[in-house]
Amino acid sequence: MNSLSLSYAYLRHKILSTALTAATFAVGVAMIVVLLLVNAQLQNEFSNNLKGIDLVVGGKGSPMQLILSSVFHLDTPTGNISLDEAEKLSRHSLVKETIPIALGDNYQGYRIVGTTQAYPEHYNARLKAGGRYWQKKMETVLGAEVAAKSGLNPGDSFAGSHGLTTGGELHSGLPYTVVGILEQTGTAIDRLALTGRESIWHIHEQHDHDHDAEGAGHKNGAQGHHDDGHADAQGHGREITSLLITYSSPLAAVELPRQINSTTSMQAASPAFEVARLNTFMGTGTETIKYFAWFLIALAGFGIFTGLYNAMNERRYDLALMRSFGARPGKLFKLMMTESLAVAIVGLVAGVVTGHLFVESFAAWLASSKHIHITGRLFLIEEMWLVPVSLAVGALAALLPAIRVYRIDIFKTLVRR
Amino acid sequence: MLEINGLNVGHDGNAILEVPHLSVFTGEHCLILGASGSGKTTLLSTLSGLLAPIAGELLIDGCNVHKLRGVAMDEFRGRHIGIIYQTLHMVGALTVLDNLLLAQYAAGLPQDREKAIALLEHLGVAEKKDHKPETLSQGQLQRVAIARAVINGPRIIVGDEPTSALDDRSCETVMELLLQLAASANASLVIATHDQRIKRHFHRQITLEGGQ
Repeated sequence: MNSLSLSYAYLRHKILSTALTAATFAVGVAMIVVLLLVNAQLQNEFSNNLKGIDLVVGGKGSPMQLILSSVFHLDTPTGNISLDEAEKLSRHSLVKETIPIALGDNYQGYRIVGTTQAYPEHYNARLKAGGRYWQKKMETVLGAEVAAKSGLNPGDSFAGSHGLTTGGELHSGLPYTVVGILEQTGTAIDRLALTGRESIWHIHEQHDHDHDAEGAGHKNGAQGHHDDGHADAQGHGREITSLLITYSSPLAAVELPRQINSTTSMQAASPAFEVARLNTFMGTGTETIKYFAWFLIALAGFGIFTGLYNAMNERRYDLALMRSFGARPGKLFKLMMTESLAVAIVGLVAGVVTGHLFVESFAAWLASSKHIHITGRLFLIEEMWLVPVSLAVGALAALLPAIRVYRIDIFKTLVRR
Repeated sequence: MLEINGLNVGHDGNAILEVPHLSVFTGEHCLILGASGSGKTTLLSTLSGLLAPIAGELLIDGCNVHKLRGVAMDEFRGRHIGIIYQTLHMVGALTVLDNLLLAQYAAGLPQDREKAIALLEHLGVAEKKDHKPETLSQGQLQRVAIARAVINGPRIIVGDEPTSALDDRSCETVMELLLQLAASANASLVIATHDQRIKRHFHRQITLEGGQ
């Protein structure tokens, strides 16, 4: 017999209240784990997407919308910019690399993006074996998720539909041919179908032609329509949705946005700045939930405390009895601590496991419905903090009842009742 | 041996009873008789080292027990005084055997499983060793309480009404066992009771006045 086996006997004896206390504790821990995991992975996906993109240039409108639509492919675009102006910008001395983005169509809700090979290369995307990049118009390379969900393989073809969401008019006369599939990148590219800008222009020139009778009013119309690259036979007047820019010098951060915003009809937005702004909005929410989770842990600690305190009260006979057999108060203190810490550790382990399982089961749903990729099979350094915190809560909960053991009056407890 | 000089017992500052002098030599036993409310239990608690006397001294094998403080007192009590409480106080979470081992563990003595089982066998409750106390009869519990009180080899075994809840036959068996165990451990029995059935086992008897 030792404090461990004795604690075990007591915990088992009142298994229901032990389980309830541990469960309360586990819920608090699991909430923290879920928050940490989701937060870290969303931040990670954010920063992956932002990697090396210093500036985004697009049509005038909300800078946040421009960033969300062109970098994260979440929102609708602000408006088109002229290809000429974009190309002029690419030759600017402060610009190192530019990536054009031309939106307009989708396939089963996945955006078809007209761009250059610089786009996948910027994110270090690799082609899966047997694939190649597009060489002609209407050839396309699929992101990992698009390929997995659609089941399309190189050689297959599909028709895009107009607009950025499902339900648009099908361009069945001009099918795309899949020529390659990309490995998973952890960025928005996974959910895109990439093609040359020419494909987008080609489709929409045909499209406009078809709809000439309806008039040209849709040029400034709702989502999707404004991306049609209008062009005359020589290719002048063509448009793209936006341009992603990498600076060649830090000086550019001061010069370039100001220059673009004041001297052109285009808008320049800094992804870093907009994401920081977004974080200040969303951050309040995550902070609140985080505090709430810590509050739950504190509550669970309080639960352990009341549980122990009550158990102590019921057990003052046993503890007084042990004192009467000669047990030093230190021995009883150790016993109480062992019990409390055992409950805290069980709660901690159960909470961590539950948290990860929850995120993992949630992940499949998030991936299919929200295009957000997270996994529960990831352990963060931050989770290590839960260990000392849980132990501290457990120890604290045992402290007051344990101190009471020192003051116990054996005669009054055992004899005179 | 046990020696009392000018002992004044009571609790919360109220003196209940005075015992000017009493000595019980090693191997001798003593019966304390008295009606309920006469202060038997208070005296017994003082003799067990559970309650400090208001005045006077209590010597056990020459040690002035109530001069001991805190941990030293707990330790002395654990090793030299075996207590059989009137309300037994079994630990419900533990088996009968573990209740015995608990006394050794609490006193910081080595846990002797064999000795515990042998004691239970001797008292005729060995087959209950892995059961929880709640499944035992009153008579069986009484025997377990006796086993627990003697397992650490005390010099004094103090019992508060150890037989009053038992029928005549059990009472006789329990008394015989107690005397036997005390003799083999060379310990003194100090029993407080109003149970007239056990009077004949004791040469030394003190009767407390007062109470009802």
